[in-house]
Amino acid sequence: MTTIEIPQGRLDTGYDNTAEDCTNRQPLVTGEGTYHAVTKIVCATPEARHAPKIWYVCFTISLMLLCLLFLTIAYQVFTGVGVWGNNSPNAWAFDIINFVFWVGIAHAGTMISAVLLMFRQRWRTGINRFAEATTVFSVLCAGIYPAIHVGRPWFAYWLIPYPNIMGDWPNFYSPLLWDALAVSTYSTFSFLFWYFGMVPDLATLRDRAKTRTRHTLYGIFALGWRGSARHWKIYDRGMIIMGGLACALVLAVSSTVSTDFAVSQIPGWHETIFPPYFTVGAIFSGFATVIALAIPARHLFGLKDLITERHMDNLGKLMLLLSSIVLYIYLIEFFTAYYAGNIYERFAYYNREFGPYWWMGWAMMFCNGVIPQALWFKKARTTWWLSLPIALLALFGMWTERFSIIVTSISRDFLPSAWHMYSPTLIDIGMFAGSFGLFFTLFLLFCRYLPMVAMAEVKSILPQSHTHLPEEYRNVE
Amino acid sequence: MTTYNPSMDTPAGEPVLYGLLAEFHDPQSLMNAANILRKNGYYCWDCYSPFPVHGLDKVMGQRNSILPVVVFVVATLSCIGMLALAWYCNAYNYPIVVSGKPYWGLGPHMFLAFPVTVLASVITTFYATFIFCKLPLFRHPLFTSERFQRVTDDGFFIAIEARDAKFDIKVTTELLNTAGALAVEEVRD
Repeated sequence: MTTIEIPQGRLDTGYDNTAEDCTNRQPLVTGEGTYHAVTKIVCATPEARHAPKIWYVCFTISLMLLCLLFLTIAYQVFTGVGVWGNNSPNAWAFDIINFVFWVGIAHAGTMISAVLLMFRQRWRTGINRFAEATTVFSVLCAGIYPAIHVGRPWFAYWLIPYPNIMGDWPNFYSPLLWDALAVSTYSTFSFLFWYFGMVPDLATLRDRAKTRTRHTLYGIFALGWRGSARHWKIYDRGMIIMGGLACALVLAVSSTVSTDFAVSQIPGWHETIFPPYFTVGAIFSGFATVIALAIPARHLFGLKDLITERHMDNLGKLMLLLSSIVLYIYLIEFFTAYYAGNIYERFAYYNREFGPYWWMGWAMMFCNGVIPQALWFKKARTTWWLSLPIALLALFGMWTERFSIIVTSISRDFLPSAWHMYSPTLIDIGMFAGSFGLFFTLFLLFCRYLPMVAMAEVKSILPQSHTHLPEEYRNVE
Repeated sequence: MTTYNPSMDTPAGEPVLYGLLAEFHDPQSLMNAANILRKNGYYCWDCYSPFPVHGLDKVMGQRNSILPVVVFVVATLSCIGMLALAWYCNAYNYPIVVSGKPYWGLGPHMFLAFPVTVLASVITTFYATFIFCKLPLFRHPLFTSERFQRVTDDGFFIAIEARDAKFDIKVTTELLNTAGALAVEEVRD
């Protein structure tokens, strides 16, 4: 490995910090690189009088889609689940596909902020806030589906074990209950973690506020944070505890979701590989989302000094790793189906690639397993017009994966006389499009009014933040 | 230890002296100054910085917070509690055979106990952290200082409270200046 000269002092925006050198640490922040510069870059968008024009265009479209979501949900609740294309044997279709899809997207935020926190990856500071926001909003999108799929959502409280006049309790063996708990835990957790990390940055916005309204609003949510060293110590400890819990949660949520399928007996669902399979796929789709959102955001909001080429490069590498695991699982599933010798299982996998939904099967194979292999090349990781399509295709691929697993398996199970094709209705499609409206409305509001990058954390990894302990404390534990 | 009560010296209606606020240039000089203050026997003081300065807790002599213990206790209790609830509901109070499965099973019930444990621990961590920090606190004497607004941007500060037994405006100001302060000002509230 060659030694690379790292220039001292001010680095230009777009400075190539992707070169690897194990003897010399590459800077993770370019531009001026002072504390104040970091504050200025991040606060520029929330403090600007007007957002970029494109923001208004996107926001209008998102709001319209959000209205579509509300309309379709209202129609579905007042009419009944019959407005969906679900019909025997396809009891599960778009609702659960979209649920798994959105839960999956949520995973990257937790992965980046928690798992990379545990591994002390300093580069995570540039993108963690951003990724956590995608988590919070996509869990929200996911949560809609199980809630309305129960048909009579006003009875959703029956899931809670409360003493009632009938004297009965929920069945704790039911995956519906596991799901409800996993998703509600995940959404509560991701919201608290996101807000917890944002408190010091909200205090920055409070202290810089020019108007009384801004000062009051940001002030309330900043909880009176004043950067005390005694507070930082407790806060850091709290952050580590939350991160540790999140590491376990990120593995548990998708595993729980996968057991909805794995505890059933449908060929193609009844597999022990499902928990890791769903978890890896989830994190993979999450990274694709973070890449797909980070590329426009860093261009649009001038964050190139904080979300540098190196961040994009690292994200690409992680996506490549996950894509390879996903591809391995796809292939091993086929092998298991063949080697186990069960005819129903063999048929399910033959049907997945050569049945009526063959193009879904192949799309998932190519978009998730084959195309991301281009990320082996550095050019593909660091060139936006290459990595953006790869990420978007991966998202499409992950959706088709869920379609393949769910619809292809259930539409053709044991008895050919019970087979039936599934096709979504307009309501199904409208609701799916609407969930994007919900996600983007919230995400755009987040970009506009909240600190998109964790300022305090970025400042702590600047080279000038490095301190030497006075001699007498070096060995104190 | 006799404590100096600043309000005794202040005429009624006048803002009470909270203490001295000193600004430092960078994290290293903040740490060095903290070391000097601690050696001089001050105890009612705190450092303020835009991000956690690594190692400052050692220099200030902060004890570890009991936060992890609190979270651990809550986590253990909530895990046992959820398993017990599942047992009470499905195996004791109203046992029903579903698909011939046993009334109570650790495996499937772990799917419930785990998220409940995490949920309880996270909520505890969140609230306990802010309770231990005595936050939210929207009114604080330091917020009256214009200089102090930069603490969330690029300012590094030490504030010594007037109730500290060793506090003396002249002596303490001089000490802060020799410790490398860029500026020292009185904070009144």
